[in-house]
Amino acid sequence: MIDWPHWLPLLAVLPLVGGVLTPLLFYRLPTAACFWAASIAALTLAVAVALLVRLLGSGGFGYAVGGWLPQYGIELRFDEIGALAVAAGFIALLSLVFSRHYVARAVDPDRAPLYYALVLINLGGLNGFLVTGDLFNLFVFMEIFSVSAYALVAMAREPIAALAALKYLLLGALSSLLVLFSVGVVFAMTGTLNIADAAMRLDASEPMPAALALAGLAAGFAVKAALFPVHFWLPDAHAAAPAPVSAMLSALVVKAGVVGMLRTLELFGGAGELLQPLLILMVWLGAAGALGGALMALVQRDIKRMLAYSTVANIGYIFIGLGLATASAAAGAMVHVVNHAVIKSALFLAAGAIIHRTGLRNIDDLRGLGQRMPVTCFAMALALVSLSGVPPTAGFIGKWQIALGALDAGKPLLVAVLVAAGVIVLAFGIRVINALYFRPPARMSVATATDSPASMWLPLVILAFGCIGLGLAGQPMLQFVAPAVQGLYGIVP
Amino acid sequence: MSPELVDLRPLLAVLASLFCAGAVFAVRHSSRWRAFWSLAAAGIKFALVWSMLPGSLAGKVYVYQFGELLPGVAFGFRVDALGLFFALVSSTLWVLTTVYALAYMRGSHSLHRFFGFFALCISTTVGIAFAENLLTLFVFYELLTVCTYPLIMHDENLAARRAGRKYLVYTLCGGGLILAGMVVLYFTTGTLSLAESGILDASAERAGLLAIFLLLIAGFGVKAALMPLHAWLPAAMVAPTPVSALLHAVAVVKAGVFGILRVIYNVFGIDLLRDLGYADWLAMLAGSAIVIASVNALRQKKIKARLAWSTISQLSYIVLAAALLVPLAALAAIIHIANQAFAKITMFFVAGAIERGTGKTRVDELAGVGRRMPWTMAAFTISSLSFMGVPLMAGFVTKWYLSMGALQAGAGLYVGVMVVSGLLNAAYWLPMIYQAFFQPVPGDEKRDPQHRARVSPMMIAPVLICAAYVILLGAGASAPAMPFSLAEAAARFAFELEVPLE
Repeated sequence: MIDWPHWLPLLAVLPLVGGVLTPLLFYRLPTAACFWAASIAALTLAVAVALLVRLLGSGGFGYAVGGWLPQYGIELRFDEIGALAVAAGFIALLSLVFSRHYVARAVDPDRAPLYYALVLINLGGLNGFLVTGDLFNLFVFMEIFSVSAYALVAMAREPIAALAALKYLLLGALSSLLVLFSVGVVFAMTGTLNIADAAMRLDASEPMPAALALAGLAAGFAVKAALFPVHFWLPDAHAAAPAPVSAMLSALVVKAGVVGMLRTLELFGGAGELLQPLLILMVWLGAAGALGGALMALVQRDIKRMLAYSTVANIGYIFIGLGLATASAAAGAMVHVVNHAVIKSALFLAAGAIIHRTGLRNIDDLRGLGQRMPVTCFAMALALVSLSGVPPTAGFIGKWQIALGALDAGKPLLVAVLVAAGVIVLAFGIRVINALYFRPPARMSVATATDSPASMWLPLVILAFGCIGLGLAGQPMLQFVAPAVQGLYGIVP
Repeated sequence: MSPELVDLRPLLAVLASLFCAGAVFAVRHSSRWRAFWSLAAAGIKFALVWSMLPGSLAGKVYVYQFGELLPGVAFGFRVDALGLFFALVSSTLWVLTTVYALAYMRGSHSLHRFFGFFALCISTTVGIAFAENLLTLFVFYELLTVCTYPLIMHDENLAARRAGRKYLVYTLCGGGLILAGMVVLYFTTGTLSLAESGILDASAERAGLLAIFLLLIAGFGVKAALMPLHAWLPAAMVAPTPVSALLHAVAVVKAGVFGILRVIYNVFGIDLLRDLGYADWLAMLAGSAIVIASVNALRQKKIKARLAWSTISQLSYIVLAAALLVPLAALAAIIHIANQAFAKITMFFVAGAIERGTGKTRVDELAGVGRRMPWTMAAFTISSLSFMGVPLMAGFVTKWYLSMGALQAGAGLYVGVMVVSGLLNAAYWLPMIYQAFFQPVPGDEKRDPQHRARVSPMMIAPVLICAAYVILLGAGASAPAMPFSLAEAAARFAFELEVPLE
């Protein structure tokens, strides 16, 4: 059963088809659309888990779409990076369950089926992006998840939603253009679109076009990943989107940019000397993003904006880890991709539950809520502590590994940057926890609030426990990503 | 190498009060069940920790490990003599503090939160004591910060929030320093184990060694209130008195001091530190802190503030003794964990009892209190005598061995510091005792129908037990089952000596 070859394309096809069908089937039944979407996401997750089991058993494997041989046809590959599809399915499923009661607040009720359709299409695009072995497909799937993300942001009922979506769209379109252009250059240079094939043919013999393609891909994916200084679309978009969408955007969609960067590093592994300037730049920009994002988060009043800036900071960590290009740092960065996804989706869902029950999003207005919404606030507090990287929570593993890598690479000052950013993150975490637990209520809607329904707190609690569980599972996770690290820079560490 | 036994008790000791804390949170508003679970947490922990004493004295080391958090760093517990000593002190005092707190906090708000986190604190403290490696220690150390924070903020007013913020800023920055130090340490040695006397060796780069020393000592020094990093401690006095007792005598400051001892004895090791010479600076810092903090204590007008400054001074005794790097001083450092804890917690209990009984919080209001609360003030007198270093009291044992150690280390200057500190202690405790016993009760108080203060026996009993223990630790130090023998075993292990110290 697990070895059935066609599971791999299903990973992308299932949510895409399910998504397209949603508005058709549930035009008049908006409430049922939620069950449909959640079932599709659950099936997708099951497929991803089956693929993961096979990966654990026999290593990475490919699938030739339509039976065409890889160099000529489209190839899908499931490797350690593609295994992020499990996290994607998981978080999408929980976000969809969460949406059941939230969607009425987030979007126009008539548009609910459309909302679910877009979430599923977004998931399909992400999954396709994760498992494709073909450069052009990479671009296509990127467009699928990006366009659905713009639409999801624009759908929100927030006043700035349309503007935020436009900003996101303009930056996103620019990044797509850069990626498409670079894919074209790579195709012109190597005559192939297969990533593994192109990686073998690319070397530094023609530095100019190769550097051009590398710069285009890197810049394009950096925008998608919201790396400092091209992060400025992110806070508005993530703060304005409906909370479950914010969770998916912060947890998964920006991570797709990171995965794109990983694919770029794989692609140019043979041209190692071209990568050096990029890696140095990634470390510097990552450090600036980690500190800047944390500081910006510290001064925010709106809880979702605060979380959005903290995403910028965490993307900074991940890029530091990738840029250091040592085994421990890169493995730590990859693990942090998943761990941050779980932490940040827990936080956005908790913020969504709070907004849903009280209508408040200013941190100072949330005073005293810990008494009224104990489960939600507990999950939030746990995730905030995890975000700051206190061991043994999920946030710790990545930061520890990246710090070790910084010492490996002879850059001890980066350790100071990481620690300082961690302390700042903890500082704003404490600020929220203070407001929730140690201040008397200042708002009527807090004093009368009740805890969220099970469809909201259950996903939250699962994610909050994930914050602890992933922290304890640091060692197996690091072992799991180790093979992927070796393929990254064309070096065997 | 002492025999290692796999044993579940270290884990159970941590989990027992974790479970009880959960139960305290769960029962919420039932004060009877809250008291039951709080006492159960303290009692179970007490029994488990003490049950390991005979084995540990016989040279056994109990270990329990599970799951690797990071390559080569498991989450594990290891009960050696030093750790067990700290755990014994804190779990013994915990029972008394819980009894006291149940009486003191009666009628306050958010009690389930208070006692829940109170029980969690002991869980984390024992975790710190039993940690097999620096990472496990750090986990519990940070958890301790998190768990004490709601206790400091208990009153939820402006002063409490300010103190809480200050505490957090200090301790979190300290935690950050420890984390950075751990990264460098792990990078240098590839392990964080505390199982040997010294995991670093002289082959490592000097800059790295210095960085590790500075980062770890400064990081732990925050909670240990080492002199330039002490400002949070007097500010945290706004907390309810049982919390002050917990912060100042048992859990928090001792966790910091314990961390410093671990760094000196188990991370660096005596020989390496002696070669490097870093410990001399630390000793000088601690020596001057002893005097400066005592002078500051002299200027304080509030009882609890005076106690806080005295704590800063007393903690530096431990750091100084450890930094001297000779066996007798090490013995003084370890034994002073207990001596200071029992004496200081007595004083805090007394301060709280006076506050509840008479409403007085200032030093100059104490006139006649000795007649209104004779037992309580007698206990206070005993601890003051201990701090002054009067023979037969616990404090004398410390001063004796510390002075011997200073001479052994060829640093006679610190004997002078001991003498000066003893005099300063006399200068700030004796006037309080004089006022309390020998000055008349002010006239208006005499006419007060509630002239004899009424304090719950649940508050008086812990005071008297602690005071009795101060005498016991001093007069009966060398009796067989006393913690002293354990401290001696720990000191011997740190110096890898086979023969008894004396």
